[in-house]
Amino acid sequence: MVELAPSAPGHRPPPHPDGEPLVQLRSLSTGYERTPVLRDVDFTLRRGEFAGVVGPSGSGKTTLLRAIAGQTRRFAGSVETHPRPGERALRLGYVPQVEAINWNFPLTVGQAVLLGRWREMGWRPWPRRHDRELLANILERLGIGHLADRQIRALSGGQQQRTFLARALIGDPDLLLLDEPTSGVDIKTRHEIMHLLGELNRAGTTILMSTHDLNAVATHLPRLVCVGEGELVADGAPEDVLTPEVLRRTYGADMLVLRRGDAIYVVEHLDDAMTGEGDSEETPVPTTPVGG
Amino acid sequence: MGDLTEPFQFEFFVRGMVAATLVGVLCGAVGVYVVLRSLAYIGHGLAHSIFGGAVVSFVSGISFYIGATLWGVFTVLLINAAARRRQIGGDAAIGIITTCAFALGVALISRHGQFTRDFDAALFGEILGITSGDLAVIGGVLALAAAVVFAFWKQLLFTTFDSDVAGTYGVPVPWVEALFSLVLAATVIASLQVLGATLIAAALVIPPVTARLLTDSFTRMFTMAAVLGGASGLVGVYVSWFVDVSSGATVVLLQGALFVVALAWAVARSRWPGTGSGERLAAIEGATLD
Repeated sequence: MVELAPSAPGHRPPPHPDGEPLVQLRSLSTGYERTPVLRDVDFTLRRGEFAGVVGPSGSGKTTLLRAIAGQTRRFAGSVETHPRPGERALRLGYVPQVEAINWNFPLTVGQAVLLGRWREMGWRPWPRRHDRELLANILERLGIGHLADRQIRALSGGQQQRTFLARALIGDPDLLLLDEPTSGVDIKTRHEIMHLLGELNRAGTTILMSTHDLNAVATHLPRLVCVGEGELVADGAPEDVLTPEVLRRTYGADMLVLRRGDAIYVVEHLDDAMTGEGDSEETPVPTTPVGG
Repeated sequence: MGDLTEPFQFEFFVRGMVAATLVGVLCGAVGVYVVLRSLAYIGHGLAHSIFGGAVVSFVSGISFYIGATLWGVFTVLLINAAARRRQIGGDAAIGIITTCAFALGVALISRHGQFTRDFDAALFGEILGITSGDLAVIGGVLALAAAVVFAFWKQLLFTTFDSDVAGTYGVPVPWVEALFSLVLAATVIASLQVLGATLIAAALVIPPVTARLLTDSFTRMFTMAAVLGGASGLVGVYVSWFVDVSSGATVVLLQGALFVVALAWAVARSRWPGTGSGERLAAIEGATLD
């Protein structure tokens, strides 16, 4: 018997708020060079949403984020964005996977964050007073105000994530795209990052993040998009999306879904995986309230 | 005392010294981007490739600078295009394209049988044969590089740090890369007469790596690399007069000595906690000459 603490009812905002569309992908097939990674994807993200993308490695999670950022090759379909009035393009704040960052680069926290404002800083190589004030404010807001002159490698995992979150936020983005922001960090840091993202979302920032972490991250998000083998398998609130059938189509493996109140917990069929009996005729365990 | 000022009586020496200082500053500054993009090998390859271009321009009867510039930019763009193919990769692309361009030059020389003194200078450098025209070209390239770095400081920094993410923030990455290719090709061509194809790679790599050992800030690394490059050019040529050794080799050996001093300092400091030198030591791993 797995005991799950019931979470407070109604803690998640609705998965599809009434905001106007910010990004619309229509029948999009996209990838790199001559290889499509995502096929025939229809997806709409509205202003004010906080959505997560889940799926196994190589399924196309990062490609979905990069397609929205216009950094992939489009084979078919369209990507439509809705910038602010008077602006030609959507303002994006992109936070890459920590593994993709060159931590040995001779860059201080302040220099790294100001890169997110390269356009607004004008022609000068150096920041103006207004830029320095904005930098100080954003670093202070994220709790790393004392680290502006520290080299990016000489930071803890949480501080590194906050630095690149600050770079994304200093450009006042319409949309924050985060590629696995909780990967490789400890539990406390993960809590801090998710708490911070929740605050930003409540303050009006639209967020789309990919994650591997179904239980500690994905189940707490208002909206989940499941991507499996380059296709969008499901899209909706976690309680609707996280079913054994959807998980099997997304991950290609049997999983148990345990529920209690609002709490959801996904468990791998480890016994079957260990004994090699995973493909038995046994019906997958249905979505079942546990403990109650 | 008279002996120490003796070389300054000769105009060719003063010209050579100014040229070596300017080339040192130029290679040190441009080399920061080369090293941080893990392209240490490109300086070496490009210099050899441009040697091929120099031969082609000689055989076709066009100006060395025009022929070599076109050849150099074409080579870098070709390397960039080939490097984007995942099956090839940057290091292999540099290896294939630059050695083929070099081989073409060697083939043309053996066909025409005219391995002139100019080509000797292109391979090994001939600093004391610098003309006023060469000096003007070096000054012009330095001005071009300074203007590009000043005007595109943030874009160059962002694409050097992470070109994929720079694109998502609206940096026109292909244009910035093409501009950098132009500056790099022009730098190698301007440095060819001073250092020769065989020593340019050292001038592009050693001062930036030495600077990296001394700082964690990009701005300071850039400034230090330019100052170290310029100072070693100035002092190296001056010393070469007295020790009667090739000027280009003296400049590079001096840079090597400065690197060893900086490395020793960084190793000593890494034993003191909280200095950051340990991280800097780790950071230059792999940034050595091939």
